Amino acid sequence: MKQIESVDCFACGKKQLSKDEIGLNKKMIGREIKQFYCLACFAEYFDVTAEELLTKIEEFKEQGCVLF
Amino acid sequence: MIYADNAATTKISDSVFKKMLLFLQEQYGNASSQYSLGVKAKCAVEQARQQVAVAIGAEPSEIMFTSGGSESNSWVLSSVRNGHVIASSIEHHSVLNSCYSLERKGIDVTYLPVDSKGRVSLESLKEAIRSDTKLVSIMLANNEIGTIQPIAEIGEYLRERSILFHTDAVQAVGHIPVIVKELGVDFLTASSHKFNGAKGTGILYKRNGILLPPLIFGGAQECGMRAGTENVAGIVAAGYAISESVADMTAITNKLTAFVQATIYGIRAKIPSIIVNGDENNRLPGIVNIVFDGVTGDSLMHLLDLKGICVSTSSACVSGNDQPSHVLMVLGLTEEQAKSAIRISYGRYNNMDEVETIVANICDAYNKILTAKL
Repeated sequence: MKQIESVDCFACGKKQLSKDEIGLNKKMIGREIKQFYCLACFAEYFDVTAEELLTKIEEFKEQGCVLF
Repeated sequence: MIYADNAATTKISDSVFKKMLLFLQEQYGNASSQYSLGVKAKCAVEQARQQVAVAIGAEPSEIMFTSGGSESNSWVLSSVRNGHVIASSIEHHSVLNSCYSLERKGIDVTYLPVDSKGRVSLESLKEAIRSDTKLVSIMLANNEIGTIQPIAEIGEYLRERSILFHTDAVQAVGHIPVIVKELGVDFLTASSHKFNGAKGTGILYKRNGILLPPLIFGGAQECGMRAGTENVAGIVAAGYAISESVADMTAITNKLTAFVQATIYGIRAKIPSIIVNGDENNRLPGIVNIVFDGVTGDSLMHLLDLKGICVSTSSACVSGNDQPSHVLMVLGLTEEQAKSAIRISYGRYNNMDEVETIVANICDAYNKILTAKL
């Protein structure tokens, strides 16, 4: 996962979220959001697995989503 | 998985699948071939034509098979060579893009407005008609909100004036009673995969006596009207699927109506701010389109997908880009509201347990998204 800017997970404090993690938050919660979950916290919050989210990220890329 | 996007496509019926399989693996002859294998294929096509004709109150000679609803719509619209065409502003893109193509050729097109429920009015149609109006195309039921148009009323008016009338009935056929003679239409489009048939088979009803130049050239299939080797298996599936849908229509309508009511009631009980789009008293039984304040339909749809639930943000053809639905915008919604809508469309294979699961997951996803935004 590529690093693009210094954004931290507001739940666990994980440093430097990846572009995919930031894109996932914007895609699934809202483009205007200011705080972000890391992949693990996102999965826990929405009660899904990290693997399912990674699959979803690949699907978004496949569809040409500009957030990833 | 819970599939609640039956307006996009449907699962093929088990019995229909068995019928079509025969024509892929055993009776796979070309319907134009003169030996027995081909003759059997030809007979199967003609039987399907009969089944479709009976289902919509037409003559078999008035039924043509195409590759899908888009081809049927494009065929009718592209036949206009001059003059003026009228279409509603909430048509499917296969009609709208055909209209744009006509405009590029110098043909005038008027796009009729709809009211806040998505209904075209006869009065606005009367105002739009010109002395050179050649064709009117108004969908029978909308694919995003399910609103049913007053086609019979419009058909009667147009017939008196000898103006050709086409209706895109892709969402309606197999789901509500559709009898072409009662509707007063000259052309009608249907698509097999919308009523538990197979993808790749469209239907075009053309009233006997109406001229329609071919769109595709080649062999003499479909009485010389539509060239190309027949999709025999798909056509067989269309015949059986439409018969099955019409036979079960009353029971399925009652079931789907209860599902939609339970969905609206269940979601509204926990999220009172929702807006239900379309005409509550005059829409397809299985479709409900809902605006959720403060979240995007895209977010909800993808979170539901992660839970194994398939719904749509608008029509399947435009999902994937970030443009608001043209249908919802024409209803008078703001761009933000239009982007906050999801369409749930139930079908014959859904049950009330699934409806309850959908409602619970929508409410949960909605609250989690809102909380995460704080």
